Amino acid sequence: MSGAADREAVFPTRQSLGLMKAKLKGAETGHSLLKRKSEALTKRFREITRRIDEAKRKMGRVMQIASLSLAEVTYAVGGNIGYQIQESAKAARFRIRAKQENVSGVLLPTFEAYTTEGNNDFAMTGLGKGGQQVQRCRETYARAVEALVELASLQTAFVILDEVIKVVNRRVNAIEHVIIPRTENTIKYINSELDELDREEFYRLKKVANKKQRDNAAQDAEMKARKEAQGAMDEKDQVADDGPSDILGAAAAEDEDVIF
Amino acid sequence: MEGLLFNVNNGYIEGIVRGYRNSLLTGANYTNMIQCETIDDLKLQLGPAYGDFLASLPPNPSTSSLAAKTTDKLVSEFRYVRANAVGSLAKFMDYLTYGYMIDNVALLITGTLHERDTRELLDRCHPLGWFETMPVLCVATNIEELYNSVLIETPLAPYFKGSLSHQDLDELNIEIVRNTLYKNYLEDFYNFVNTHPDMVGTPTAEVMSEILEFEADRRAINITLNSFGTELSKADRKKLYPSFGLLYPEGTLMLSRADDFEGVRLAVEGVQDYKSFFEAAGLGGGPGGPGNMAGGTGSEGKSLEDMFYQKEMEISKGAFTRQFTFAIVYAWVKLREQEIRNITWIAECIAQNQKERIGNYISVF
Repeated sequence: MSGAADREAVFPTRQSLGLMKAKLKGAETGHSLLKRKSEALTKRFREITRRIDEAKRKMGRVMQIASLSLAEVTYAVGGNIGYQIQESAKAARFRIRAKQENVSGVLLPTFEAYTTEGNNDFAMTGLGKGGQQVQRCRETYARAVEALVELASLQTAFVILDEVIKVVNRRVNAIEHVIIPRTENTIKYINSELDELDREEFYRLKKVANKKQRDNAAQDAEMKARKEAQGAMDEKDQVADDGPSDILGAAAAEDEDVIF
Repeated sequence: MEGLLFNVNNGYIEGIVRGYRNSLLTGANYTNMIQCETIDDLKLQLGPAYGDFLASLPPNPSTSSLAAKTTDKLVSEFRYVRANAVGSLAKFMDYLTYGYMIDNVALLITGTLHERDTRELLDRCHPLGWFETMPVLCVATNIEELYNSVLIETPLAPYFKGSLSHQDLDELNIEIVRNTLYKNYLEDFYNFVNTHPDMVGTPTAEVMSEILEFEADRRAINITLNSFGTELSKADRKKLYPSFGLLYPEGTLMLSRADDFEGVRLAVEGVQDYKSFFEAAGLGGGPGGPGNMAGGTGSEGKSLEDMFYQKEMEISKGAFTRQFTFAIVYAWVKLREQEIRNITWIAECIAQNQKERIGNYISVF
């Protein structure tokens, strides 16, 4: 057999055949389930890839606008306000919340951005001049950070999904190309071994039957010869003895058949 | 009359400053600059005006270093003029620097309030606002000490006196402190040019009054517009308006009561210039966005801020038509500052490849 080497080390018995059959069935169910999971994940993965592409383009645009608005602030205020801003910011206004999303049993973290209301630490920056630009710049950057957060959650999902899809695909392939063929081989092997045993057994039986037949024939012949010899010796006694001896011989012959 | 003896003391300075004025970039220069493709091209275009100062910049410098170098040139020229100035002109130029000092002091106060190492901040201070005792400010570790022993020694002490106590420094927003100081400074400066015997009745008083009045009005309008939606109360806001200017007293009173853009517009109705600014800005951005230099939107209309800058530059340019006046020094500094802003803006636009807004600079020559 070609796959002789690629089978599990089991004794070819009817019990292990049953086990193997159950295993094959399990493997097939698992394979179809995993295949479906992998397809679901891949679908999701494609969608995420598309959204990442969009988000990246959007981020490029938003960041460009944002940095230009910072240039506007520099122009309007006429100096660097970075230090002032850094020092007057006390609490984060823009926060994110991490959530988990379940896609076919894979937990994907998603970040959700929200702004805390009424937290305006540097509302007065640029009171004398450039205040509007500062506020507008802040809004633009808030939008930019929002885009970044979205991109971050997509990217994380991308990496995790990529990993999971690889694992699932490896499993699918392992089941499809290794476990199922091997189990099938084992079943085939066990079947062939069992057939072989059956055939051997059949042959043995035939042999035994033949031998029995021969023995019986020989016995019969002997008996016959003896009877004839006896018949020839005393014809008178023959009538009385005939019945029982016949019955015995027939019973013995039957018995011998039954014994086996 | 004032022309008779002006040149005895100040003729040299006037000549120098007029020379500096001629080296300001002109409209043709700007036209060349906005056609540049890279910062290096821009640097090349700036070569004739800024040669020595830009020489040490690496290829493709950042816009901030470009701005720093151009400011260096202004500072060194200013220092040269200041070193040659005598008498009341020297005093006048000192007054000019107080505005920058206020910014520096505000910066240092912020640092002290947050218990930062203020020594690092000295580098960030505007060089024009440097005064001898400024490094001493760093010695103070808490705000009371700063107020009692250090701020008193600075030229800004009179501006603190009477309007701000050391508790205020702790509690008030630094922006309010800064604007209070600035208001006191503007009033003092206005008073100085109008009462000093060397300047009373001279073109200096005339021109400087116009400039300072405009500056006062601009601050009042800006503070009002920027305070909408913040915790600054109307009473506090009123305290920040300088008590002179074209809007004073009626306009400022109305400004202090204004609740929105429309209210501000009504308040400045009485002054033709501001009225037209607001009309233009109102058409451009609507009541929602009066200062329309919005990121990406409404790039066509000029913002209020832009128009104020434009007006300031025109007044400054006009100052050069007068002779025998100190005001040209002030005007020259302002023009040069605007030029630095223009260069920075153009450099930013080039660096970020956002050519559509590059024409947003203000050129008056």
